[in-house]
Amino acid sequence: MKIRLLAAATIASLTMVCGMAHADQLSDIKKKGELVVGVLGTDEPLSFIDPKTRELVGYDVDMGRAVAQKLGVKPVFKQITLAARIPELQQGRIDLLAASLTHNKEREGQIDFSLTTFITGQKVMVKANNPIKDVPELAGKRVATAKGSSMEVNIKKAVPTANVISFDTSPQALVAMQQGKAVAFVNDEMSLVRAMVELGDKRTEYKILPANISVEPLALGIRKGEAEFKKVVDETLRELESSGKAENLYEHWFGQKSSLKMGKRSFKIDSDKIDE
Amino acid sequence: MTTFDPQMLISGQYHDMLVAGLKMSLQYLFYGFWIALPLGLVIALCRLSPYKPLRAFGTGYVEVVRSIPLLAQMLFWYFGVPEMLPQGVKEALYEGPVESICAVVALGVYTAAYMAEDIRSGIRAVPSVQMEAARSLGLSYMRAMRLVILPQAFRLTVPPLISQTLNLWKGTSIATVIGAAEMMYQAGQVESQSFRSFEAFAFVSVAYLGVSLIITGIANWFQHRWPVRTM
Repeated sequence: MKIRLLAAATIASLTMVCGMAHADQLSDIKKKGELVVGVLGTDEPLSFIDPKTRELVGYDVDMGRAVAQKLGVKPVFKQITLAARIPELQQGRIDLLAASLTHNKEREGQIDFSLTTFITGQKVMVKANNPIKDVPELAGKRVATAKGSSMEVNIKKAVPTANVISFDTSPQALVAMQQGKAVAFVNDEMSLVRAMVELGDKRTEYKILPANISVEPLALGIRKGEAEFKKVVDETLRELESSGKAENLYEHWFGQKSSLKMGKRSFKIDSDKIDE
Repeated sequence: MTTFDPQMLISGQYHDMLVAGLKMSLQYLFYGFWIALPLGLVIALCRLSPYKPLRAFGTGYVEVVRSIPLLAQMLFWYFGVPEMLPQGVKEALYEGPVESICAVVALGVYTAAYMAEDIRSGIRAVPSVQMEAARSLGLSYMRAMRLVILPQAFRLTVPPLISQTLNLWKGTSIATVIGAAEMMYQAGQVESQSFRSFEAFAFVSVAYLGVSLIITGIANWFQHRWPVRTM
């Protein structure tokens, strides 16, 4: 009886200690003096290595920096893979995900999300001489995507009979399509536009199908239940929005000044709600 | 806190995906082995050949293939080699299961280099007087090799060859980088769809371990049944 009581007390106090240790990630970060931000580093212009300066830059990187600045700590960027990003966050090896992360319902069970930082659609790229005009025509065809991505899931939803082949990175999937190993390549619109820019003269050999297979709100990822930390992250984003800095960042990385030359920003950073 | 859910491994969609991956990995092992063993034998014989160009070829093959990681070779056979083929062959290949074909070729070619070294050492372990005796009976070099040397060398070579087969079996997992739907790939798919990493990789680990133990079991049986003869 005594032993049982002792065990119960031990468990109770352990839970409390653990609970306390996890109660506030925010103070942990401040104590450490650094904010570990997980980025892909391979997804221009969200996060990539600038070929001239060899430094990590991008829209996601700037978001991470802004949060660190708000907290008054040093940002430490850690490159992670697409498939490992959510486990890395859950296991506490990083504090904040700024890794081309799509906010969707399935993932809400795993992690929390900041306000939506960017909205893009996922589209399909095929060779220009391919007779395919619309997404449903991909039925039974080989389609290349990146492993562990939301494209992988969304193309299956849009065309259940498509034969989806996933590669470790999006560039590999693109090459597979260029070589003819797959009919189509699925990615978010922004990355497809970038791929077109990089193709240079060869861009006329490819086309992007007009239909969106999904609308993709991107957001920063936060470990589940860290309400205090999420509040600071969201505040940072709201300030970026109200000061006009968010608009500038968009123009810098995506707008007419950038190589992507995408149109005016059609969204505002003001909500963490998603449709569906 | 999530708990381990064995149910998803016993039945349902995820079970089917993982089992399909296991079957494909076993096929890679099977076909890869039957490329590696004959090719390894040919390379070993080249390395021991009395003709210098053949020896140079054998040595070159072993050194090149052994020095480049399987991962790099897998990508090379998938993204590089098919592009060099004539247009017609290329198109025919791309119509079919190109990931699997390239994976099997990469695995076979890679493992052959290691098997060649094992076979070579096995052949060299057969005393040279055996060859001399066979030649003095009037057998040609190739006939002496086939009828006298190789049968003796084979028994010596089985344990290292089994070890290479285990490496080949584990190496099938590298094919995941070229989108080949083998067991590691399917585990990754299950993981990204269900967020259940632990279950998926537990299945994979047990499957790799199980097949490896079966291969080891076959090796032990073989060595018991056909032990190395003292020479």
